Amino acid sequence: MSIEATVVYNNVLAILSLVSLTGAVSLVIYRMVKGPEAAYLLGDRAIWLAWLVALVATVGSLIYSEVIHFVPCRLCWFQRIAMYPLSFVLLVGAIRREAAVKYYGLPLALTGLAISIYHNVIQFYPSLEGGSCDPLNPCSARSIEVFGFIDIPFMAGAGFILISVLLALYVKTENGQ
Amino acid sequence: MTQRTQKKPPAKSGRNLSTLWWILGGAVGLGLIVFLAISIAGEEAVDDSIGFGEITMEGDLLPALADPLNDVAVGMIAPTVSGADWDDNSYSISPDGTPKLLVFLAHWCPHCQAEVPVVQQWLDDGGLPEGVDIYSLTVATDRLRPNWPPQDWLVEEGWTVPVIMDDEIGTAAAGYGMVGTPMYVVLDGDNNVLQRISGEIGVAGLETLAQIAAESVG
Repeated sequence: MSIEATVVYNNVLAILSLVSLTGAVSLVIYRMVKGPEAAYLLGDRAIWLAWLVALVATVGSLIYSEVIHFVPCRLCWFQRIAMYPLSFVLLVGAIRREAAVKYYGLPLALTGLAISIYHNVIQFYPSLEGGSCDPLNPCSARSIEVFGFIDIPFMAGAGFILISVLLALYVKTENGQ
Repeated sequence: MTQRTQKKPPAKSGRNLSTLWWILGGAVGLGLIVFLAISIAGEEAVDDSIGFGEITMEGDLLPALADPLNDVAVGMIAPTVSGADWDDNSYSISPDGTPKLLVFLAHWCPHCQAEVPVVQQWLDDGGLPEGVDIYSLTVATDRLRPNWPPQDWLVEEGWTVPVIMDDEIGTAAAGYGMVGTPMYVVLDGDNNVLQRISGEIGVAGLETLAQIAAESVG
């Protein structure tokens, strides 16, 4: 992929991550205002949307490693371990309209979120992970930077947050609406 | 497993958008995001060759730095590396009789970003002994990574150390067995390796390395 295309790709994912964060915050506020009735805003589409977020994150990270040839660092791998299964578990849950899917998905999403938060913290405080950068695989160094603060673990964190909110607020309705 | 099901309350007009509208809205939103991303990228278009130099190297490559306390490269002759900075000022790390302290820096490395002002302050305070030269090499330069290009960063930091910009394939970094940044190498006047170390070392470390270089004279 050319550098110009990579820059556009970074920008797309960065904007999507901001949209995800905004969406997650909006959903939480909507839930606080509307109460349990808020579940009807998305209905079963909440699981489909959570799956879509996981799918975009999975494919997005694979494009970074397999097409753009960024070497995933140790913490990136841990986040992958949490995100990749979500793209399968949530799909099955969405197709089967399984209310229980939130209990399978949430532990993965919250674990991934915790790792993302730690990853972001060590990028702001690199000394937490040592005193030097491995050019091929540094967790403390940013691989990309969009808008001055968005890097890959930030994107992953935004995805985990939206998935977590969607799953946490999901309540199965009778007709899926 | 028992599933908790919530009955839908009495319908209110306009409460729910249809799935079709959700998909259409998502597609339009994605289109807007791509348009915005391309617009932003267009504003950032720059020359990708900035930040790299041309390196000529003579001599054998040093082995990769594994353990600074038992570095097998100590005593070996480091390769002679010649290159230039962004203003075409040429420099050569050669056996010219003067001991040298080399600093390898990557623009995207947060440890290098933290160390550069420390080194500069140490130099401003007269920390470098008489008869010891210091050179820096910008390595692992990557257009896609933050804080690019390295010259903008170093100029902004008021960096007064002569700079050799490594080439795109990392000839200088490979020649000195670099495995992490920042990396320091101490050479005697005959280009023999006296010490290699990777990581932030601060003023105390700089004093130690400078002393090793200075003591190699005579």
